[in-house]
Amino acid sequence: MRKILLLGLTLFLVNAMAFAQGRVVTGTVSSLEDGLGVPGATVLVKGTTIGTATDIDGKYSINVPAGSNVLVFTFVGLTSQEVNIGNRSTINVALEADITALSEVIVTGYGTQPKREVTGAVSSVKGDAIQNLPLQSFDRALQGRAAGVQVRSSNGLPGGAVNIRIRGVGSVNAGNEPLFIVDGVQLNNQSNAAFTQSNPLAFLNPNDIESMEILKDAASAAIYGSQAANGVVIITTKKGKQGKAKFEFNAFSGETQPMKYLDILGGAEWYAMRRNAFINSGVANPEANALSNMGRLPSNWPTLTRPALDALGLALPTYDWQREVMGAGKLQNYEMSVSGGDDKTTFFLSGSYNYQQASFKPVDFERGTVRIALTHQATKRLSFETNINLSTFQQNVPFAVEGSFLGSPAFSASAVLPHNAIYNEDGTYNTAIAGVLGQNVVLVNDYNSGLQRTNTAVGNLITNYKIAKNLSFRSLFGLDYRLLQGDNYRDPRTPDGAGVVGRSSVQSDWRTRFITTQTLNWNKTFNGVHNVSGILGVEYLSETREGISGAGIGFPTFQFRTIQSAATPESITGFWTGYRRASAFGSANYDYKKKYLLTVTARYDGSSRFGANNQYGLFPSVRVGWSLVEEEFLKNSSTISEMKFRASYGLTGNDQIGNFDARGLYGGGGNYSGSAGIVPSSLANLDLGWETNNTTNLGLDFGFFENRITGSVDAFDRRTKRLLLSQPILWINGFGGISNNVGELQNRGLEFELSTVNIDKGGFRWNTSFNITKIDNQILSLYSGLKFLPANPGIAVGQPVGRSGEGSIFSAQYAGVNPATGRPMWLDIAGNITYLPLAADRRYVGSSLANVFGGFNNNFSYKGFELTSFFTYEYGGLVSDGQYGFLRENGTRLTLNALREVNDRSWKTPGQITDIPRNLTTNAGNELRGNSRNSGTAALLKSDFLRLSQLTVAYSFKPSLVSRIGLTRARIYAQGVNLWTYTDYPGYDPEFTGAGTGQVPLTKSYTLGVQIGF
Amino acid sequence: MKLINKAFLSLALTSSLLVSSCDSLLQVDPRQSIDANGALTTPDAVNAALNSVYAKLRSTRNYGRDLFAMADALADVGVTTSNSGRLIGENNNQPGAHFQAGFWQNSYFAINEANLILAAISGVEGASAAQIARWEGEAKFLRGLYYFDLVKVYSYMPTALYQPGVIDQGGIPLVTEGIITSGPALSRQSPRATIDEVYAQIYKDFEDAKRLLGAGRGVQYGSGAAASALLSRAALYRGDWAKVVSESGLALASSVGTVLSGSAYVNGWRAPVNPESMFEVRFALAEESIGVNESLQSSYTALLNLTNKNSQGGWGDFIPNATVRGYFGIAALQIGTPATDNNNWDVTRNTDVRALLYTTGNTVRGAGRQIECTKFMSKSGFAYADNVPVIRKSEMHLNRAEANYHLKNESAALTELNAFKSLRGLPAVTLAGNALLEEILLERFKEFAFEGQRFFDLKRYGRGIVKTTPVVNLAFDDFKILPPIPQREVDGNPNLKQNKGY
Repeated sequence: MRKILLLGLTLFLVNAMAFAQGRVVTGTVSSLEDGLGVPGATVLVKGTTIGTATDIDGKYSINVPAGSNVLVFTFVGLTSQEVNIGNRSTINVALEADITALSEVIVTGYGTQPKREVTGAVSSVKGDAIQNLPLQSFDRALQGRAAGVQVRSSNGLPGGAVNIRIRGVGSVNAGNEPLFIVDGVQLNNQSNAAFTQSNPLAFLNPNDIESMEILKDAASAAIYGSQAANGVVIITTKKGKQGKAKFEFNAFSGETQPMKYLDILGGAEWYAMRRNAFINSGVANPEANALSNMGRLPSNWPTLTRPALDALGLALPTYDWQREVMGAGKLQNYEMSVSGGDDKTTFFLSGSYNYQQASFKPVDFERGTVRIALTHQATKRLSFETNINLSTFQQNVPFAVEGSFLGSPAFSASAVLPHNAIYNEDGTYNTAIAGVLGQNVVLVNDYNSGLQRTNTAVGNLITNYKIAKNLSFRSLFGLDYRLLQGDNYRDPRTPDGAGVVGRSSVQSDWRTRFITTQTLNWNKTFNGVHNVSGILGVEYLSETREGISGAGIGFPTFQFRTIQSAATPESITGFWTGYRRASAFGSANYDYKKKYLLTVTARYDGSSRFGANNQYGLFPSVRVGWSLVEEEFLKNSSTISEMKFRASYGLTGNDQIGNFDARGLYGGGGNYSGSAGIVPSSLANLDLGWETNNTTNLGLDFGFFENRITGSVDAFDRRTKRLLLSQPILWINGFGGISNNVGELQNRGLEFELSTVNIDKGGFRWNTSFNITKIDNQILSLYSGLKFLPANPGIAVGQPVGRSGEGSIFSAQYAGVNPATGRPMWLDIAGNITYLPLAADRRYVGSSLANVFGGFNNNFSYKGFELTSFFTYEYGGLVSDGQYGFLRENGTRLTLNALREVNDRSWKTPGQITDIPRNLTTNAGNELRGNSRNSGTAALLKSDFLRLSQLTVAYSFKPSLVSRIGLTRARIYAQGVNLWTYTDYPGYDPEFTGAGTGQVPLTKSYTLGVQIGF
Repeated sequence: MKLINKAFLSLALTSSLLVSSCDSLLQVDPRQSIDANGALTTPDAVNAALNSVYAKLRSTRNYGRDLFAMADALADVGVTTSNSGRLIGENNNQPGAHFQAGFWQNSYFAINEANLILAAISGVEGASAAQIARWEGEAKFLRGLYYFDLVKVYSYMPTALYQPGVIDQGGIPLVTEGIITSGPALSRQSPRATIDEVYAQIYKDFEDAKRLLGAGRGVQYGSGAAASALLSRAALYRGDWAKVVSESGLALASSVGTVLSGSAYVNGWRAPVNPESMFEVRFALAEESIGVNESLQSSYTALLNLTNKNSQGGWGDFIPNATVRGYFGIAALQIGTPATDNNNWDVTRNTDVRALLYTTGNTVRGAGRQIECTKFMSKSGFAYADNVPVIRKSEMHLNRAEANYHLKNESAALTELNAFKSLRGLPAVTLAGNALLEEILLERFKEFAFEGQRFFDLKRYGRGIVKTTPVVNLAFDDFKILPPIPQREVDGNPNLKQNKGY
């Protein structure tokens, strides 16, 4: 906005210039940071209105009237400089970056505010910080960028789900996702992809983002009322700027690679392990039994000696299934944008194409986007704006997103018995796979096919009308439309398709959300010291979702892969659901000389989701600030350049429950003998209402040494009251639970953000930013004096609720193996050793929620060279990883492969102290009638990690150099993502959500890119 | 300028209109559900609600798999193959590897639905007396069946209560009032009724069903005869021998179901609806198939069908052990060349016609061409779906023979046993005393292998389970004879006692 004003001013000055007379001074204005020319900088003759603007290369020429001897060079974001002309006719200046970051403008609820005046807890991430990262959705890119914002990728699927938590986990059964707003349109970010994960936020090309603001405290978010309990993320996309059309071309391409291959046993090693397990189990013919498990027992085996059989086993080969199904994937991105405009109209047009393969074939992601942003000043009072984001993305789907499916490569690759060949000698697939994973996963994933497509249109139409000098009206109509389509084919040549002779499943899911927001903005200054402003608004939102899906079986041959070729329709189903919300809101700001700041907001929301007696709710908030630097005693301080205390209290609501959760219903279902059935599906709760978050926030913003050191500290106490809890109902009473408002949950935390300019000398600059958050999460109370929830004892008073509200881990403590016998042991509640822990022996041992996390960024630049390294970290989570769990069984329950480190640790000799029990087979008798080796806390893992999330080396060519070939800008870079992780995690990767079984792990990637402006 | 003013004005007007009528704007009604209040006031709705009570029998946790395959895995019928890794823990009788929480949940949900129907039928508009009688009869038939299945699993049998070391924690909670509102749903905390009270309720429900239902409307629905048959079994479990004799007689005299012999008996297993069935759970649509992983067919055999043994089918996770193979003289037999072709293999058999229900499987997925039970072979016409015979007419003979033995009518028992044996192609025997009882139980074992009866037959005689593989027996006084009641039910209901050992 400022830039536009400035440019306008410049043009005005250019016109004025023609009347002046005097000497001509020419030169170049460049940026000290990168040495590049600064186009559009203002050059003003001091004390006059004579000035000019630099051209595209930063060059200028100005007539200086006699008697004037000083030029003033200014540009937004750079420090102004005054230069004495003397006798020179050429003056080149290099402007320093304006590191007073606090002068930036922050987007807040329904408006903007200078950061200096913000009194809530708001983090801002600029689009530049996440530019060109090969991540499909911007939520993934938020990891480690802002204090209090915890981001975890659910898995390594490109375009997959991301778990984002702002200031902890505030709900158990209602959602924990923040509200995402793109250009004023509140998004529905639920996913419902049938065949893979399709992150709805992946519709937006992250490079189209100008900035992301995260409203963290309830007072900042309260103006969004009933949906703001989990925080609000406001995305502002790039807009056009006045001036001649600027073209930007941006391309990168590279490769994704698995971060890790598990170190598993080879064929002969597995044989030896299994043979020993049979020996330990006292089974006759251990060699023959082990060979039989591996499908390699010769039919004449009774005639062979034990050593001869043993030699057969020890000669078994090893095939690397992991490297067959996991590997490098392609990655590329191309985009083009053009922006510009005149004094009435500005535009920004962009188009992009993104393609990325996962580390598991054939999983990928392919997206095309088109974006249009237009503004038009129709009259002095009336202006229009529109932002339209169109996008389509398509994903080739995995066999399954997670789970112990035999056909799932992420599950089977590490678990299939390693002596099985992948191909026959003639190059065809080997289909005789021995062991419990009796399918060739390479074949299965080659023959099966499927895709998931997501088409999205998010757009708005905005009218601004200036009613009076201090009063303006803004009207926004927005649309969030999404169509999800899926198609999946189980090939008849694969085990899952064989019995049914092929199965084609299709899915379509439409969701349409209309939103309109009408606001009045008013501001006035009284006596030059009392600044007052206010917003009044109304909003209405209506959403419908409907879908149909079906499946057909019986295909003539495998070449027929679409549902119309199916002989038998297998199933057909659909759904319809919807909800509506009507709201009114207002906010008032007052400050005295920018010194004492006060904001009061309130929102009144009504939602169709809640019980008839409780559909409306009021969400007020208050924020106060005291800007110490505006006080006389600090005004002239050379050390302290910024100091502001902030305090806020507010109420927000959570409405992330099912659209009809308050209703008592009979739904369709339970068809029998070819006729339709109905089934009681939910109990009515007419009093069901919002879950409310009451957050108190205390904060301090600081800046030292002309803001070379800036940062903030925030402490918060977020209380979720009237928790939306699925209150368990005894199954004997016919239902599993009822949505109710019971219980209280607390998130207490400390956030610390720090940015420093460590070195800024001779063109060399080193910036560091660091953030850390610590959160304590616990249930304060349940209902009826209960200490824990009967249906889920992990939900317990005094215990955290885990990342997804799944509860704390409540298990019997593992005590390692009995050194004398190698039998696994647990502790009973009294701390005594037991082989058979009971329900009463369970205790609370932690949760999946990491309570310390953050990011650490370093940026070095010198004469066009740039180096960025960005680390993220997490500490304190405890997880159960299903994939590791299966492998930790060490082949004792199922004929699955095993981890070398686990097998090495297994108990072998009396007196050995270890945590892995003696290898046994399932036929070992009574000893196996104890608890299984993974039960209790035995297989839990710490999910701590420190990760080099981003490493970028870039070089920007000198404008003077590239201008010869008609360019204004040229930058090349090499980038690595997730290059290095420090962790002692024994599974694929500690960063995932869910059960961990058969999930595609995160990948690392390398890219090379180029950005060109002309 | 004027135009713009007009545009602005109309915009402001539109938005104020949009906001003015908030209340109606918040009105959204579901389109795929109806309000629970008054849902069951039409005959169509009651019919549909009753369908759901039947449909819950199809659950994998009930007759879809567990009441047959898992019950037999817990007993001494077979061995697990590790082909898919399923049923291993159950076959090893490991702690917790037993009937699952879902069995309890699904059964009680069905009971609540039946109770709601029973409470609603008097208020149905335009219902005939015959309709009301049928609804009541079928709802009670189903409620009785669910209670019978629950009590045989979670409690000891009335005939084997007082073994040393066995601690009787009672029957199961009996609920006969339907719940559709949150008040009672949150407050009702029923304790376990005594075992006797539960059997009394089961008797009552089946007796009402017998009174209200005639020949029924097909074996997939409850009938008076099926109620008698189930009463016969319930009485057998209760040790109410005279009742067994009378109800078996009623069931045998009914027109529902046929006792088959010889090849007709074997062919009965190949028909979509087994003529022996007096009540069976219907799998009518392809989407109802339990699928390749957990269906009865897939649990028992790797074959897809009997016409081509090389077709890739299910898992064959649970197969007959040496004892069962021995009963029928079964061993693998190559009947052609090459040996690699699974169609060139079958089994040897003795004269028992039931031996024809076993054959060799395949090697398609490394299953090792094991000897498998073929009682369930996609007879409903689509993959992995078979109607499940809950009670077959033949059982009436075995029930009555056993009851007559206990009533000291040994000659009647022996006559009935020999008549039954001849139906299966076996010679008559001359036995008396305990040997006669053992022979009746052995015949029951052979007849109902892979039909989920053996575990409960052992349990009602207080016998341990003799395992062949692994060679570790489970004594009757071991706590693992009973499954745990779902922990959430115990945690949330202070009146509910958990079974011992959990």
